[in-house]
Amino acid sequence: MRGIIAWALAGVLLSGCDARGTFDGVAVDPPRPMPPVSFVLPDRSSYALGPVPGRPLVVFFGYTHCPDVCPTTLADWKRVKAQLGRDAERVRFVFVTVDPERDTPEVARRYARQYDSTFVGLSGDAPTTARIMEAYGVAAAREEGSAASGYLVSHSSQVFLVNGDGNLVALYPFGTRWEALAADLARLL
Amino acid sequence: MVSFCSCSSRVPSRGAADFSMSALRSKARLLTAVLLPVVGACATADPPRTGRIVSSAWARPADSGATSGAYLTIINADSSSVELVGASSAVALAAEVHETMTHEGMSHMMARTAVAIAPRDSLVMKSGGLHIMLLQLTRPLAVGDTIPLTLRFSAGDSVMVNVPVRDF
Repeated sequence: MRGIIAWALAGVLLSGCDARGTFDGVAVDPPRPMPPVSFVLPDRSSYALGPVPGRPLVVFFGYTHCPDVCPTTLADWKRVKAQLGRDAERVRFVFVTVDPERDTPEVARRYARQYDSTFVGLSGDAPTTARIMEAYGVAAAREEGSAASGYLVSHSSQVFLVNGDGNLVALYPFGTRWEALAADLARLL
Repeated sequence: MVSFCSCSSRVPSRGAADFSMSALRSKARLLTAVLLPVVGACATADPPRTGRIVSSAWARPADSGATSGAYLTIINADSSSVELVGASSAVALAAEVHETMTHEGMSHMMARTAVAIAPRDSLVMKSGGLHIMLLQLTRPLAVGDTIPLTLRFSAGDSVMVNVPVRDF
């Protein structure tokens, strides 16, 4: 009888760990394969957003003139990285600009590195930007600003978690506590 | 009249989807009772029981020429309402009050030219809500720096705040 109860309990616990329940973020179920997209870095080398076994990918789309949502997200990543310790070395934290007209590859790189020297900032040409935004279901639109600010950009503000197999497995809407991403990465690593 | 305050206590951490002004205001009322003695302790002279009291100010690091964001809490200690009508800083060509709004996964900002603060109420700026954009920075802002920021109110008064720069 004890054995039956133990197996029943194990079943309950395991069912809480299925694909839907293993993420503190919003699980993408079933996981969605993301196409690899290559960017040209300031030194003319390429950086591919594709699967790398054992190395999850954390992606956010924003712009460097953004004073609130984008800095909050990258500052949260800094906390996530600190929380994960050495395991964080296997995580690829990537910021992709949706404003490539103002954010050159060099500007995007400097912006991401301002938060952590390992964070990657990417700016693609128009077709590359359009392709990756479509793949992730990201939207962006210019809005009128002041003479000082120039135009503003409304944009999708969730963080995407892609596992090492290249599958999108979870989303983190803006405002989600950073601990959720840290916990989910710890499970993937 | 120009008042000074350079308090550095933290703004409470943000909660998911808690960005509306009404939500901020209801929280702010609760905070007023808590913060008044705190900001009183931060003031360099006798704490004013009228006018504006500013606390919990901080700004984000950014490159020269780039954009930073600043956050703070303003208590309106007067018995009449007042509006925050502008801001300026010696380290930025312009400073504008903006509010971030997030709806169905999209975030966008709206300039706020006047933000009302009810009598004996507080205005809490925080990530994902109201903030001050520091535009076209004239120098880089690094963690550990302190920058000046002046807030202008509809009653004709201003408050100058020394704002520490930090990551979060």
